[in-house]
Parts: sequence; C-alpha cells; structure tokens
Amino acid sequence: MPSDATIPPRVVQRRPRAAHMLGQNAGLILAAFILVLCIAGFAAMFQIQQQRLPGNFEVTSTVNNTMPLALAAIGQSIVVLTRGIDLSVGGVVDLSNALAAIWLTGGVLHMIGISFLIVLIGAGAGLINGLLVGLGRLQPIVVTLATLSIFQGLAIRVLPQPGGEVPPGYTIFLANPNQPTALVFLAVAIVAWMALRRSRLGVTIFAIGNDEASAVTLGVNAIRTKVFAYMIGGALYAVAGLFLAATATAGDATTGDGYTLTSIVAVVLGGVNLFGGRGSAVGAICGAFITTMIVNILFFAHINPLYQSFYEGLFLVVAVVFGALIGRLMRGIR
Amino acid sequence: MTANTLRVLAAYGAAVLLFVIGNWVHPGFASFDSVTSILLIASFVGLVAAGQCFVILIGGIDLSVPWVLNAAAILLVTESLGEDSRALYAVAVTLGMGVLAGLVNGIGVVWFGVPAVVMTLAMNGIIEGLALGLSGGMTCTACASYAPPVIAAVVHDVWLGIPAALWLWLAVIAVVTFVLSLTSFGRTTYAIGNNARAAYLAGINVNLTTAALYALSGLFSAMAGILLVGFGGQASLGMGAPYLFQSIAAVVIGGVSILGGSGSYLGAAAGAASLTALVSVLLALNMPDYGRSIIYGVVILALLLLYGREQRE
Repeated sequence: MPSDATIPPRVVQRRPRAAHMLGQNAGLILAAFILVLCIAGFAAMFQIQQQRLPGNFEVTSTVNNTMPLALAAIGQSIVVLTRGIDLSVGGVVDLSNALAAIWLTGGVLHMIGISFLIVLIGAGAGLINGLLVGLGRLQPIVVTLATLSIFQGLAIRVLPQPGGEVPPGYTIFLANPNQPTALVFLAVAIVAWMALRRSRLGVTIFAIGNDEASAVTLGVNAIRTKVFAYMIGGALYAVAGLFLAATATAGDATTGDGYTLTSIVAVVLGGVNLFGGRGSAVGAICGAFITTMIVNILFFAHINPLYQSFYEGLFLVVAVVFGALIGRLMRGIR
Repeated sequence: MTANTLRVLAAYGAAVLLFVIGNWVHPGFASFDSVTSILLIASFVGLVAAGQCFVILIGGIDLSVPWVLNAAAILLVTESLGEDSRALYAVAVTLGMGVLAGLVNGIGVVWFGVPAVVMTLAMNGIIEGLALGLSGGMTCTACASYAPPVIAAVVHDVWLGIPAALWLWLAVIAVVTFVLSLTSFGRTTYAIGNNARAAYLAGINVNLTTAALYALSGLFSAMAGILLVGFGGQASLGMGAPYLFQSIAAVVIGGVSILGGSGSYLGAAAGAASLTALVSVLLALNMPDYGRSIIYGVVILALLLLYGREQRE
C-alpha cells in the first residue's frame, strides 16, 4: 500500500482570471457588443439622413420606449434563471396598466400609495404563479399560460375600453418626455440586481437553475426560491405597466399583451440561458435596448413596416445561432 | 389501468360533463346538431393540436402556429382566387408552405441548437412579416377572394349526418393514433421524448425524426388554416391568434406531458373537444369576454392540478 507521499498532489488547473471572466460572462459581453453595434449603426444612419447625430430627443424617446420592456425583461430573466418561463408577463402588464389608468388621480402621496399597491398586486400575481409552480409541481409554461388568460381577463374587467388618465406629474416623474431621466431608474434596477445577485436568495436562484436536485440536497429551499423569483418577476411586470401607462398617459388593457413574447426575445438576446442558471439582468436590459434599436434601424432603413416582424424574427435566430457559436469559442479559450 | 389511460378518460369525461352542464343551463345544447357543430369548431383546434402534440411529445413546443395558420389561409385564397380549378394547386402550395416553415423550425432546433421556444417564436415573426408584407397588409386584390366552393364544401357538406370536416378530423385522429402507437416512427417519437440521448445511443436518428415532427406540426397548422378559410369563407388578419393557446391547452388537458415522452393524441383530441365545449357553454350563458378568459384559465389550472402534476421523486 503506497504511503501518502507517493501520491502526486492533484494539480488544479485554473484558467487565467481574465479568460475565466470572459467565459463566464460570454452572453453578457456579446449582448453589450451587439447593442454597441446597433447604436453605432443607428447613429451612422441618422448622421447620413439628418446630417447630425441623434440628440437628446432621440435618446429620450428611445429610453422611454424601452423602459417597460427592460423592466419586464429583468423580471423574465429572474424567472428564466430558475429554469422557468413566465408567459403571464403580458397579463400582469395589462392589469397594472389598466389599474394605473383608473386609480391614479390627485396628490403625490396618493400616487405613491397607489403605485405601491399596484406593484404589490403584481407581486401577488407572481405569488400565484410561484405557488402553482413550486408547491403545485406544475410546469411553468402551462401554469403561466393559464394565468395569462386570467390576468388578461381581469385587466379587461378593470378597463373595458382604452381610456382613463394619468396625471402629467406622474408622466414627468417616470417617463420624462424632455430628458432621459428614466435612466436613473435603470441604474437603480442594476444596483438592485447586483445586490440580489450577491444575496442568499440570488445565490439560490442560480443554484436551482443550474441543478435543482443538487441545490435541494445542499439545503436550498427550492419552493421558496421559486415563489420569490416569480414574485419579483410579477412586481417588475407591474412596474413595467406603470411606465407604460406613464408614457402613453392613458391606459389600455391590451397594449401589454406583446410583452410576453418581447420579454422572452430580450432575455434571449441578452444572453440569458433559457435552460436556467446563466445570465444577468444587465444582459436583459441590453437585450431590451437591442430590440428597440432594431426597430429604430428598420425605420431609418426605410423598411416597409409590414415586414418589420420578418426582420426581427430573422435577427433573433441569427443572433442566437451566432451567440451560441461565439459563446462556445470564448469558453473554449482556456 | 395506467395513469395515461386514466388521463385520456378524464379528458373525455370532462367533454361529456361539459355537454351535460351545457344542456342543463341551455336546453338543446346537447342535441345532435348542436354537438356536431361544436365538434366541427373543435376540429380546427384539434388539427393544430395534432401537430402541437407531435412536438410536445419530444419535449418541444411550436409557437409558430398563429402565423403559419394565418399565412396558410391567406395563401389559399390568393393562390386559388376562389376558383375550383385552382383549388388543388392552392392546397398543395399552402400545405407545402406549412411543411417548409415547420422543417426550418426543425432544422433550427436540431442542427443549429436554437431552443424550440426561440426558434418557433422567431419563425412566427418571420412568417408574420412575410404574410403582411407580401399581401400588403391584406390590401391586395387577390386577398379579398373567397375560398373555392369545393373547399367550403369539404367543411360544410354533410355526409351521413356529420359535417365532412368532422369526418376528416376523425380520420386524422385515427391516423395519428395509429402512427404514434403502432409504427416505429411513433415509438421513436416517444423514445426521444423520454430520453433523447438514450434514443440516440439506441441507434435512432434523433435529428431526422425531430425535424420531421416539426414539419408535421407546420403541415397540420396549414391544414387548419385551409379548413378555417373554407369554414368562414375569407381569410383575415389575426385569425390564427387563438390557436396557439388553445392547441397547447388541448394537448395538456388531454394528458400529454409538456416535458415530452408520454400522452396520446386521443387525449389531446378530447382536450380540444372539451375546450370548445367550455367556450360554447360560457357563450350560451352570455358570459362577457373577460369572464370567459378568466374561467378558461381557472379551468385549465384546475385540470392541471387534478392530473398534470409532476411525480415527486
């Protein structure tokens, strides 16, 4: 029997720090890269056609148009990280949008209170999803498909016809049409994400997304984690609905429907792995801005708007295929 | 009796129960004529659900249903121009378009490794853009054509007391069930759904089968589009929208596992029938839109909680 000394010490091969960072954040880096390309392309087109660079107005309208999608995409990404998917996004955005349009009146304190209440309702919607997925052991895709129908129904019950009114002060605060002040909220969201990522909950979200069985064995409460993930998601969709109402200055119980699919698109473009455990909210925000920039670019390229979804779909496939390819290459550099 | 058989029976039970309830709240609801007309409407969902069932059985999903169906409807009227002499050609082109869209989905999923959700979502957008762009947003003169009379007849004609489209659906149910349970293609499908890796190691051509299943899903969506034009007379924008939700719901209510590998089309067909019966009952009750939407969701959740739960390991 050989003594301990004869066994060579196991050499742990570690990649250089920089290469490791690059490999781990391949999706995010790629998303940021595509976003920079899109912005550069848009600026170049703008320069050629308008003889100037995009100014304050263009930046402000882009930011305000993207805010609801960016928020919905952050929520979606947190759910996707747990290896779930949330199709009820559109329903919650609709509901929050409709409630905002009929409840928001009067003073500042009143509006703050109502906003919190609506966000709480969004979290409640997420709680239902989370309980059904976690405790009910049902598949996320079918649960949220069913709750989507319920939330859409409730939204139409609240606001049968487009209408209502959002006080101008509310619009100035959330979606200022003159300055891109909404970027502040984005910064807040990124800081909150970083805090979540390092918190106990954040770690468990990533853990169950990577390998639920192992995480549970190590003492992670998978049910609680999922419930919280869907609740945070629901709250963020509600915030997205508030921003949508603020931008439109009125409510419509169906404008939010599209966010179910676009939030998934943004999450995918943002480098969040649909099979869970990999990705970041920053990526999702990049993905949301890419989605808006593509529409802007198509507009300036004088593409017939009827063909818009054709190019969007094509871009999505191409981006995902190349993203996977480049991600593999980057992880290959050891 | 296995759990799967029980689920299929439960789906049929739900359909029968809904007809009984319907007859109670609205006498005459369960009369022969009323039942056949409800089942006729269910057959459109049922056809789409056949394709959806194929891809869900291997753990995939087809989100491109709405616009493949809608584009099929538009393509049929614009190619046939409402003339019987062009009907056969138009049907062939339309079905070919469906197969092609599905095949591209399959190729994307299999050979390019794009997640099914993303690939089929993108395909839905691609077809939407093409359908809208090429038809000028349904403003082209050919877009206003009616379905050829022969296709309308295929839907509306009554053979032996039953609408022809219903016979077609029954035939599809028989063929799909036969293919899934008694052919090697069907067994291959279940094998891939249970464990794609094991299936590959057992010598199954997983890639080819997967691509073929997506192509079939496109085919069935296109077929539903054709019949829907025959049923309604004209194509319109957005006519495919309800069928995504309903086809997935029908498949899940029918006891097919959304993770793949278990379930049958017999169940999914019953799911389509019970969904349509539910909508008809709610319509008979003069339930407003939002109420239908809410009850729809609640019923699906209730059925899922009854028998759609994952087994505890």
